[in-house]
Amino acid sequence: MTDKKGKATLARRDLFRAAGLGAGALGAVAVGLPAAPAEAKAGDDRTAQRYRETEHVRKAYESSRF
Amino acid sequence: MSPIGDDASALPDEEILRAQAYGLLAGLLSRAPDADALTALAAIEGDDSALGAAYAALGAAAREATPHGVAEEFDALFIGVGGGELTPFGSYYRTGFLHEKPLADLRGDMARLGIERAEGIAESEDHIAALCEMMAGLITGAFDAPADLGEQRAFFSRHIEPWAPRFFADLEGSPTARFYRAVGTLGRRFMDVEGQAFALAV
Repeated sequence: MTDKKGKATLARRDLFRAAGLGAGALGAVAVGLPAAPAEAKAGDDRTAQRYRETEHVRKAYESSRF
Repeated sequence: MSPIGDDASALPDEEILRAQAYGLLAGLLSRAPDADALTALAAIEGDDSALGAAYAALGAAAREATPHGVAEEFDALFIGVGGGELTPFGSYYRTGFLHEKPLADLRGDMARLGIERAEGIAESEDHIAALCEMMAGLITGAFDAPADLGEQRAFFSRHIEPWAPRFFADLEGSPTARFYRAVGTLGRRFMDVEGQAFALAV
């Protein structure tokens, strides 16, 4: 009796292991978690375009400063 | 709110490592690493496997980099006045324009999966960093229960696979990229492994 799902899990593990996925775990844990994660909460998805001082806008202002 | 769900401890190691890889890419593609982040990255070593070598190169690149240098590099690649060298949005890569059908499709899937855009982010959701963050959250159950492999595969094939490998290859080949060349290599190889692994799944 073959456990198809179990075999698939093993195959994935072997593939990732062979590919070397574990190598970056140290740095990934320290660096990887984003500062402002997308959150799971109820509410409207904002669709209106509102002004936001993003990195892009701020740099545009900086570079145009006299 | 932590981007790692409570059920994450029940996941096999390789699935946690996948989530961490997506998280690392999300972090590096959201903003240039600061001094502390570069110090952490500089400790990464790897063997001569595909991802091991890519991680090792990232560690080496971090050891060579300075915070000011990577900030300038990030700016030139992605921000720039009037647009950086690269435009890391799915709609742009897939249609030539921002805010196109790929974004609409993504928003539909986000709503269904219970993923909402965080406050204060103006960039559209089909940014490579946001997509990597979403994959990490699907794996670990940050938005809802951990998504099963079928759901993850569907998300990956609909929103990431059609363009992310090309983006990472562009990043890898950019004359502007030095530190970020290693990010490109890691991303490209990781996308390749992800595709192979999903092809194995039941």
